[in-house]
Amino acid sequence: MKTLSLLSLLSLLSLQSLTAQTTGQPPGVQPIPAPSLEGLEPEVAAQLRDARALIDVLTAPAEVAEAYGELGRLYHTYSLSEAAAAAYANAALLAPKDFRWHYYAGYLAQAMGRSAEAEVSYEKALELQPGFVPGWIHLAEVLLAGNHPDDAERILKQVLGSDPRNAAARAGLGEIALSRRQFREAAEHLEAALAAAPEADRLHHPLALAYRGLGDMERARDHLAKAGRVGVRPADPLIEELAQLRQGEMAHLLRGRVAFRFGRFADAAAEFRKAVEARPASVPARINLGAALVQTGDRRGAVEQFQEALKLAPDNGTAHYNLALLLAQDGYEADAVKHLEEAVRIEPRDGAAHLELAQALERTGKSAMALIHYEKAAGLLPQDERAWMGEANLLVGSQRFREARDVLETAQGNLPGSGRIVHGLARLLAAAPDPALRDGKRALELALQVHAARGTATHIETVALALAESGRCDEAAEWQGKAIEAARQEGPPERVPPMEKELARYTAGAPCRPGG
Amino acid sequence: MDPRKLVCILVAVAWPALAADPFVDAAAQSGLDFVHFNGMSGEMYFPEMMGQGGALFDYDNDGDLDAYFVQGSVLGTGKPVVPAPRGRLYRNDSLRFVDVTESSGLDARDYGMGVATGDIDNDGWVDLYLTNYGANRMYRNNGDGTFADVTQRTGTGDPRWSVSASFFDMDRDGWLDLYVVNYVDWSVEKNPKCFAASSRRDYCGPADFPPLPHTLYRNRGDGTFADVSARSGIARQPGPGLGVIAFDADRDGWTDVYVANDGAPSFLWMNQRDGTFRDDALLAGAAVNRRGQAEAGMGVDAGDFDADGDEDIFVTHLSGETNTLYVNDGTGMFEDRSTETGAALGSLPFTSFGTSWIDYDNDGWLDLFITSGAVRIQESRTGDPFPLAQTDQLYRNAGGRLEEVPGVFKTPGVGRGAAFGDVDNDGDMDILVLYNNGPARLLLNQVGGQQSWIGVDGGIPGEPGVQVEVLRPGAPALWRRSHTDGSYASASDPRVLVGLGDKPLSAVRIHRPGGKVEEWRGLPAGRYVIRKER
Repeated sequence: MKTLSLLSLLSLLSLQSLTAQTTGQPPGVQPIPAPSLEGLEPEVAAQLRDARALIDVLTAPAEVAEAYGELGRLYHTYSLSEAAAAAYANAALLAPKDFRWHYYAGYLAQAMGRSAEAEVSYEKALELQPGFVPGWIHLAEVLLAGNHPDDAERILKQVLGSDPRNAAARAGLGEIALSRRQFREAAEHLEAALAAAPEADRLHHPLALAYRGLGDMERARDHLAKAGRVGVRPADPLIEELAQLRQGEMAHLLRGRVAFRFGRFADAAAEFRKAVEARPASVPARINLGAALVQTGDRRGAVEQFQEALKLAPDNGTAHYNLALLLAQDGYEADAVKHLEEAVRIEPRDGAAHLELAQALERTGKSAMALIHYEKAAGLLPQDERAWMGEANLLVGSQRFREARDVLETAQGNLPGSGRIVHGLARLLAAAPDPALRDGKRALELALQVHAARGTATHIETVALALAESGRCDEAAEWQGKAIEAARQEGPPERVPPMEKELARYTAGAPCRPGG
Repeated sequence: MDPRKLVCILVAVAWPALAADPFVDAAAQSGLDFVHFNGMSGEMYFPEMMGQGGALFDYDNDGDLDAYFVQGSVLGTGKPVVPAPRGRLYRNDSLRFVDVTESSGLDARDYGMGVATGDIDNDGWVDLYLTNYGANRMYRNNGDGTFADVTQRTGTGDPRWSVSASFFDMDRDGWLDLYVVNYVDWSVEKNPKCFAASSRRDYCGPADFPPLPHTLYRNRGDGTFADVSARSGIARQPGPGLGVIAFDADRDGWTDVYVANDGAPSFLWMNQRDGTFRDDALLAGAAVNRRGQAEAGMGVDAGDFDADGDEDIFVTHLSGETNTLYVNDGTGMFEDRSTETGAALGSLPFTSFGTSWIDYDNDGWLDLFITSGAVRIQESRTGDPFPLAQTDQLYRNAGGRLEEVPGVFKTPGVGRGAAFGDVDNDGDMDILVLYNNGPARLLLNQVGGQQSWIGVDGGIPGEPGVQVEVLRPGAPALWRRSHTDGSYASASDPRVLVGLGDKPLSAVRIHRPGGKVEEWRGLPAGRYVIRKER
């Protein structure tokens, strides 16, 4: 594929010639809208300015066409869509046999919702290069969006004829079948698409709907549970080239974030490093670089980046938080606490920071302060089991059983599926030192619920405690026996004697209430 | 008709349709001079782009719709505006609107987002709930033209960023409960710099902030509400919610709740009949589009667009995404049929917000109104003094196929909320459209009155959820529901207005949420029937 290096061409031209005006543009060439460059990153503005200036100094039609096309690609990359469309139109006018400009024009029009224009441009592009498969896929998408499923189907089947494993074609055919309520055919196509592109986890959703249509609700639920956000993307070298045109800090940040999201941490770190090079004072670039370095195992490098970010922006809560996590993991608890205190001072509604601070304070023996932050974390992160359990455990540790019970009740309301919370509440209701707090019936109900999900020695013992609290000593003894058996298998052996002592109490008969 | 239960009042038809345009903006001539203020600071504060809504409601029970406008404010350390902007109430005096804010006792100077209306104490006077960036407010209608701030007493002042809210009766106890849709955890202090693809500074999106859990308040019937968000299951699932509609998705007689989330799967909270709700949106096929993509849900409405007796969900979205129509199979299972029905076509370039199923031409088929306005930089329009403005859209329903009616709305604006109701009581649906940082418009319908219609006025402001079934010989029954919620951050006329097309009316059946059915025969068309229980 022919490409023109803008930089090499520019280097051949003097500054004077850059500002020169050409006369006599070929007929039909339209003026290109000049988007405002105000507020753009300097590198981006310069890139656009240079590409635009190039058109004025070239005279050979092929080169002018190429320059218009390149300008279009740049505008396209930065979402300056109207200017991009005009530039592509000029490129296509001057080089009508070059399929690229029709194709890019089609892709742009499709994104802008101009389906009719997109269809025409794709058709022209495919006339010139019928073997370019992504073009057929996009044309089918446009036809499908315009409610022409028969035409789209014909195209996608042709694609499959030459490439039976084409995931995009399979997905498109699956969508068409789904729209026709041909659920079996839809399921077949979508299963095949997923087999060809297992990373495209978004396909699990339409597949689930196909199974729903077939009445297979179990499979439907199974696929819904697997559904994600990644769709099928046909390999498309022309579109991938667009992303590579971006320059400046933001371009690298963007690419780095994409790499990070897909688990390519080394690539992410490389992009973030380029962002730092583009703007050394960029706090987001340094924080992102630090986060990526942690993932690559370069903890020292990460600490340096977070410290550098804090020099630039001492009130950056994220930098304090990230740095604190690393320090805590390395055993520098006091320093970690200091940074976490800063993080919550800067952002009092940051639940994760409150939670980390609570845990760090608890580890350093500052339970009273830890309790305050667990409470705040639970309020801010009502779906986080750790916050509720941390708060409840500290309350129990300080003999504040009624408050602990209230916390666990609230937590259970928020997280009824949390085994730890339900178990903690069952235990408290069965064996709280204050008998007024106990409720044997409810404790038993909760303990059995947890036991059904997970039957470790501790969980079995909680059932025994609840039975004992309910005065059902024989049954309590039976369950305690099972708990001892399980504890012997799980270990360590020193768990067993206290459990045996409790068993003796149950065996002795009523009253056998815990602590009685 | 049972005379013990019903009083029919004939309402005079006042505004004949003359103009060629289906809608005419009558805001200026009717005295509606409200202009929204978003406090735009240059700091790209997220809430600046997200307001605002308005309400059409009959606060003085004089038989015509009054209007409430939600107002913005200044965020951060910006210079305060004097006098401070505030929400405004306009009384409708025969289509001449008078600003009665000062005498009403409404003093809403918060950063306002939306409004919901309902009679919380069943005293026959409609009350007002205002959602804010900041604590929400409940205003009780005193019945004498004034309102009292009862936020504290009712316990409904959710402090988080809320946008839309819906009054509905979750437990069929006859008292209106309240679902409050919360958005994201943004703050002036937590205002990161976000950028457009061009690298220009831009407003952030919802993905840049943690989503918030929503709130469900149960009406205790004694003037107070209990926060049952946790117990009901609602609080378990945070979501960046913007729009909400309460309706009976599976026709089991219990009201369910659909929430349009912005950039995340939508919720369909199915009422479990025991005070709890379960989100079934994914399996029901109404959480994401056909391809499995979560879209940027903004406004929402539910209505029986295909005249098959169940309600279908329409959700508006961001530009680059289509609007989505989820068609109900009658059991609460939905299919995305946006493309096949025509709902998607023409929507891709628009960022759409307020919307409703309205039968604007009274032909018996529910049409669609959509108001739109961008939320982020439109690169092609830098230098344009109104770069975010877009035109509103009207889709006509041609027997289950939606077709955009071209050229109806010519003046662009940054559309957000839209409230719907028969403002001039002439038997067709008018629209109050709210524009971010711009003047509101009152779109008076000029064509609906040309067709036959029947209106049902619940007469009891606190009774949404009532289904109206209109029977016509040789034609499918028309099902409509009384509600004030839906659209975007706005509250609409609870009266049910049904276009009859060219068919005569044979009977009207009223289905109450508890299953009770009343049937009226021999009603004249072209009238509102006011239904009052003794």
